[in-house]
Amino acid sequence: MRNEQTMSMKINVQGIGMTKFGELWDRDVVDLAQEAAKKAILDSGISAQKIDAVFVANMLSSKLGNQDHLGAVITSQLGLSVPAVRVEGACASGGLAIHQGVQAILSGLYETVLVVGVEKMTDVSSCEITTALMGAGAEEERMAGLTFPGLYALLARCHMEAYGTTREHMAAVAVKNHFHASMNDHAHFPFEVTVEKVLRSASISFPFTLFDASPISDGAAAVVLSKKSVKKGVCITGSAVATDTIGLAARKSLTTLTATAIAGEKARKQAGILLSDIDVVEVHDCFTIAEIMAMEDLGFCQKGEGGEFIASGHTRLGNKMPVNTSGGLKACGHPVAATGVKQIVEVVHQLRKTAGDRQVKGAKVGLTHNVGGTGGTVVVHILQI
Amino acid sequence: MISSVTNWRQTKDIYVKVGKVGKIISWTKIFVAPTGFENDVPYYVAIIEFGKEKRNTMQLVDFDKEPSLGQNVITVVRRIGKQKPAEVIQYGIKAKLYE
Repeated sequence: MRNEQTMSMKINVQGIGMTKFGELWDRDVVDLAQEAAKKAILDSGISAQKIDAVFVANMLSSKLGNQDHLGAVITSQLGLSVPAVRVEGACASGGLAIHQGVQAILSGLYETVLVVGVEKMTDVSSCEITTALMGAGAEEERMAGLTFPGLYALLARCHMEAYGTTREHMAAVAVKNHFHASMNDHAHFPFEVTVEKVLRSASISFPFTLFDASPISDGAAAVVLSKKSVKKGVCITGSAVATDTIGLAARKSLTTLTATAIAGEKARKQAGILLSDIDVVEVHDCFTIAEIMAMEDLGFCQKGEGGEFIASGHTRLGNKMPVNTSGGLKACGHPVAATGVKQIVEVVHQLRKTAGDRQVKGAKVGLTHNVGGTGGTVVVHILQI
Repeated sequence: MISSVTNWRQTKDIYVKVGKVGKIISWTKIFVAPTGFENDVPYYVAIIEFGKEKRNTMQLVDFDKEPSLGQNVITVVRRIGKQKPAEVIQYGIKAKLYE
């Protein structure tokens, strides 16, 4: 393997922008991408004409909006004629597009790139969106009538059996992330919930209820990445991707996402940091069990202790290690390909000290963790100021 | 809708997979289904272990009671989902209780 882990990486995040996440009936995929991109370009202080390439993260516009060729669609809306590439890695599309942008700059071919993550999901029925999302699963899982809540429920059952993780532990994830989202006016669900509300909501896939799941959302997020620093700010110092089997049944372990552990360690080595250096984290909490497993697999707590770690309040704003200050996928929303880019936007806000009421005091190092499927693709980024 | 060719490819080795005994290592009960499975809800799906190395994901059928981890099952051929009148009927492997 090349010197992926020792290569010095310092990519400036010059600009950030995002739309509100939610059920945005009056906006299509192009409107959303355009708004986020223009905000990021404006925030960067760089002229749009200085952008050398555009990376567009999107999973579902071919299936749900009949729109392929999304790169050119978006550059044409921005009045650019630079190279534009669509990146797809299921719900990790956004993180992958950031990784592609970083690679493009590191290659020396481009100096400044725009990365846009966008998804329009709410125009179709729950049946249709459930089917479309299962494109990220294995053929055997589709034949079994599985859904993503079902796949993560299978993982949850194993975690409960192996480590005694409880429904209350999982509910604590939802409660914390809704609390964080209540301070985020871009969030899909900016309100608090209780453990009782989570436990008593409708069953979607045993043992999950509706409030264990992230919502179906519309939204977009964008960042401008640059080799040169126009203004002093946040840099990406680690960018790692790992993959695993698409189907759960082929995994050696059903209580660990191995790709998370691999990508997390690689990204930390690239950045030259320790776990204890990290002040703020955005993890992929598509379902409550996913945040519990992410905390364990990234190494923030021992395997099997993730439920108690979160339920005890360690990861709530104001405590030791705030996680998902945006509200996470669970409450900020999950327009799938926008999520990985939104995580970067949130951490940049934290490191710039512009996160408002949800600001983590003294934050200098952040980590983002973006998952495609049930861990078939995982992207981890480290950001520093 | 799948073509008859796709259907054949997906089921050409069905005879090898039928009649196998395994045990449930995880299961869930689906209440919100994808297209084609709406009429089946709620239904059980499980990961079944066949021997030490081989695992597969499939629906459970004919379960009157909630499944248990470690329970033995045997694979059977059943219709997969529901097709429209002009569509090819899909068959595949599911698992029922083995006592």
